[in-house]
Amino acid sequence: MSSYTVPYSALATEAALVKTELMRAVENVLDSGRYILGPEVAAFEREFAEYCQAKFAAGISNGTSALHLVLRGIGLDEGDEVITVPNSFVASASSIALAGAKPVFVDIGDDGNMDPQKLEDAISDRTRAIVPVHLTGRPAKMKDILEIARRRDLFVLEDAAQAVGASLDGKRVGSWGHAACFSLHPLKNLHAFGDGGMVTTQDPDLVAGLAKARNHGLANREQCDFWSFNSRLDEMQAAMLRVQLRHLDAWTETRRRLALRYNDLLRPYVEVPDEGPGEHCVFQTYVVKAERRDELKQYLIEHGVEALIHYATPIHLQPAAKDLGYSAADFPMTMRHVGKILSLPLYPTLTHAQQDRVVELVASFYQ
Amino acid sequence: MQVKYSYLDQQFAEVEAYFEDLRKLVSSGEFTLGPFVEAFENKFAAYIGVKHAIGTNTGTGALILSLKAVGVRPGSEVITVANTFIATVGAIVAAGARPVFVDCDERYQIDVTKIEAAISPKTAAILPVHWAGCPPEMDKVLEIAGRHGIPVVEDACPAVGAKINGRFAGTFGKVNAFSMHPLKPLNVWGDGGIIVTDDDKAAEFLRLYRNHGLLDRDHVEIWGVNDRLQPFQAVVGSRVLDTVEGLVEARIRNARIFDEGLKGLESCIRPPRRPAGYREVYQLYLVTASRRDELVEFLVGRGVEAKVHYPIPIHLQNAARNLGYKRGDFPVCERQADEVVTLPAHQHITEEQIGYTVSVIREFYR
Repeated sequence: MSSYTVPYSALATEAALVKTELMRAVENVLDSGRYILGPEVAAFEREFAEYCQAKFAAGISNGTSALHLVLRGIGLDEGDEVITVPNSFVASASSIALAGAKPVFVDIGDDGNMDPQKLEDAISDRTRAIVPVHLTGRPAKMKDILEIARRRDLFVLEDAAQAVGASLDGKRVGSWGHAACFSLHPLKNLHAFGDGGMVTTQDPDLVAGLAKARNHGLANREQCDFWSFNSRLDEMQAAMLRVQLRHLDAWTETRRRLALRYNDLLRPYVEVPDEGPGEHCVFQTYVVKAERRDELKQYLIEHGVEALIHYATPIHLQPAAKDLGYSAADFPMTMRHVGKILSLPLYPTLTHAQQDRVVELVASFYQ
Repeated sequence: MQVKYSYLDQQFAEVEAYFEDLRKLVSSGEFTLGPFVEAFENKFAAYIGVKHAIGTNTGTGALILSLKAVGVRPGSEVITVANTFIATVGAIVAAGARPVFVDCDERYQIDVTKIEAAISPKTAAILPVHWAGCPPEMDKVLEIAGRHGIPVVEDACPAVGAKINGRFAGTFGKVNAFSMHPLKPLNVWGDGGIIVTDDDKAAEFLRLYRNHGLLDRDHVEIWGVNDRLQPFQAVVGSRVLDTVEGLVEARIRNARIFDEGLKGLESCIRPPRRPAGYREVYQLYLVTASRRDELVEFLVGRGVEAKVHYPIPIHLQNAARNLGYKRGDFPVCERQADEVVTLPAHQHITEEQIGYTVSVIREFYR
């Protein structure tokens, strides 16, 4: 049990709500005897594609592998560049390195997502793809990004790891780019009870390629068309994910209601994540920008509220990125955000009393 | 009579104990690495008798990470066999290296007399496969590798429980990989893999690399991957591990009954040589048969689910085109691809079913 009165996440409490349904789903897989790429994966792929307003979806072992496989599929050569943002989870960039290309970062805008104004400057004649991230569950400025990509003939891969169900002008993430990758990690809005990932696309060739790539390059049991590895979504996880998907809209609605309530109550003290025009955010993380952030975080933790930072060190300043040659001065907006961002507890089972406690502490801190 | 290839419905007919464990997992909220994975890793390490066990998402992942842990890099060469599951070779390519094949022997294992000729200055690892759950001649492999200062990685994916003179598969090479795919001797309810090693530095690298290179939540030391064993599968694997010695013994018993039953048919169908001291776990019960394709069709027609692992050797796959091999390069392997058949001989096969299978085979060759 957590020692916090308001822990950052409540996976056990959430799982308890659907435990019977989950165990029944597991039992169905056992009864079928199909443990690998069976009917549950196929059904979840159909349901997920439909949910994302996409034509096709492919189940992958996790969000990182999903990014890696799609990027590898576009045939990157050494020295090719792929553009993303530095304020994401490391997988947004490591998947680019893993696919054999060089990650190139572009600064974010005030919304915390890729700044289309700066994108053009980051494009070189080696640029092959753009990976905008819908960070925290807020859609990136896809119209502007796609317009630039179209002009320069670049592949756009949405990193929608944190954003299932988010939309821009009524069109869901996962349906904008050439492809989109989702994570189904336990801390995501739609999550497996372990690792899981998805790719959505409108392109039948891309999804057919992924079907082989995730399964050793096998066209069938006997014929291997290209070297690959094993990045399959687990049948068991797919069965449990289908249960979760049935509840997703209700859970997202609760999340949004709680987030907007936070916005109202916290506005006097910190910069709150208001939705921009046309944006429908799903608040996978609820991130405020606060003055004296580190002190506030410490204060909250000491008073039983588990606050976190996503992410404390931007990717371009990680030891792993040393060879890329970036410095702290390169992305001023990212650095401004990094010093102020704070993630507060938000999940469907968070009570108003817990939320009020968070607000009360933030208020008393700034008094 | 029906003789089915898969036994999962029988193995997991009683699931209440597993469900008890899984309910605990669901109630814990520990879905990423964590205590359930760690407990399984420790239990597995103790079973094999190694210092470290590192759970991975799949057996393929275990192979890729093992190769990287011993220093395989882009430009390296890795020596292995062409009669294995495609993942052995896919893993070499995924680690950035070039696969170099050697032929196999009459036991379907790497021909140790051919290894030396395949070694080049670029050879960064030798990857012998415990194909079908049968250990290759590891003492010879180690002797050659030692002489050339090349690390050995065991592809022990099909071979949990296999031994040579009492020593477990997974304790010969520097870093060694197992699969826990549903049709492996130690199986889980989906994909799973595990790496074993006594090398502290390799273990440290593997724990970092499988989890995004994260030193802790905020610090990324190296570009890594997500190749974590699922807690769900660790929970299942832990319970299966309690039963694995019994499963292996049942498979060995069935294989002996089969070997015995096929006596007198040597001109048509025969098991491989089984030298003393080698404990095979019979992940596949492989025999060599003449008129193989006809035999398989005949068996299937009589309700015996025989299979072929595999009809196309890897050096002749589409994926291998640019490696420059051709038919005739590995004559033993190529001949076996036309002759091997896998008969259902798992732990749930009864003596009666074996007897029936043998009688169908006798009828075919009459």
